[in-house]
Amino acid sequence: MHEWSVADGIVRTVSTWARENNFSEITMVKVGIPSFTFLEVDILKEAFNEIKKGTPLNNSTLEVEFLSASFKCRNCGNSFSEDQVREQLDSIRSEFGEEYPLHLMPALSPSFLSCLRCGSHDLVVEVQDIMVKEVEVKGHGTIKTVS
Amino acid sequence: MEPLRQLAEDKLKGRKVIAVMSAKGGVGKSVISSLLALSIGKGTLLIDMDVHTMATAKLFGFNSMHNVGKGGLEPFSVGGIGLISLSGVVKDNYVLLPGNNVGKVMESLVAYVNMEGFKTVVFDLPPGLGEELLTLERLTGNRFTSLIVTTPSKVSIKVVEYLVRYLKERRVNGFLVVNMSYFNCGKIVRPFGGIDEAKSLSERYGIPLFEMPIDPSIEEFVGKVQDYRGDLKKSLEKIATSL
Ligand SMILES: [Zn+2]
Repeated sequence: MHEWSVADGIVRTVSTWARENNFSEITMVKVGIPSFTFLEVDILKEAFNEIKKGTPLNNSTLEVEFLSASFKCRNCGNSFSEDQVREQLDSIRSEFGEEYPLHLMPALSPSFLSCLRCGSHDLVVEVQDIMVKEVEVKGHGTIKTVS
Repeated sequence: MEPLRQLAEDKLKGRKVIAVMSAKGGVGKSVISSLLALSIGKGTLLIDMDVHTMATAKLFGFNSMHNVGKGGLEPFSVGGIGLISLSGVVKDNYVLLPGNNVGKVMESLVAYVNMEGFKTVVFDLPPGLGEELLTLERLTGNRFTSLIVTTPSKVSIKVVEYLVRYLKERRVNGFLVVNMSYFNCGKIVRPFGGIDEAKSLSERYGIPLFEMPIDPSIEEFVGKVQDYRGDLKKSLEKIATSL
């Protein structure tokens, strides 16, 4: 259900940005979301379509790109991918069910996952949280917004 | 663009933000935060930002999970106020995070809270100068009031001066709260030493000082701090009216 808050955040961020740049109509917003959050795209889009009404995003569509995370251990230097910690992710999901904490806060991942080689939680995660990656502005084309 | 950061900033805008801080641990910061939030009363949301200890939820006796609805994370309702704790997200798991992630977690916790109906937000920050304080500055543009908690101990006062100096430099309004300052048994006794050092600090930096009494009975209220009505609560009610 926090997909509604995420949609709220996306609409606010892009509207603020559009106003600051004097863009009156946004036609597409593309967001990147860590795939291990298992965010529900249907709910996110439903919420987006509701919240966007009356904003510069009124006629826009939402595109979602799921990004697979990669991890680097600061303790031993080992790098590994999301697929390699699938078992750990599955066990957290089965412990929590719907209230899976990484669903709500992907930045909690180092606390729940550990390095496959040394067991450390001192992990740098490449994909941390939800980002607006691209915005398409009527008359201006696509603008990349990731700094 | 970070949608959660924008959402967190927007949620704090137009609300009074109070941060309870301390330079070191063990000075009773979580008890002070809890009683302060209860003293300000209705319309107050207490957010436990001490994400590694999550002590506030324990003081109030909460060990359940927060519900998440269309409006976001629903605060626990207790003693007339709202309470948000990361323990309501992670259950009884420990939280251990690299610094950068602490800021992200704090940002998303603020972003997701349903703040409908709350006028004041009290943050219980972890001891010391760290990521949580920087995040609070980012999210509020330094528009918050700080309550700096110390004990009369000389070490605590010396360490707290860093915090006082930093906040002064950042132009953040502050109050100095000397916890466990005196014991009232007909006459005033100061078992942890005098408060001359604290007074001098308060005068040098021009921040108001409040003394808090020692009340051993507070221990009996761990798990139900909302029911405590003793002297410490009365002293915090005075601070609440001057904030
Ligand atoms: Zn390792």
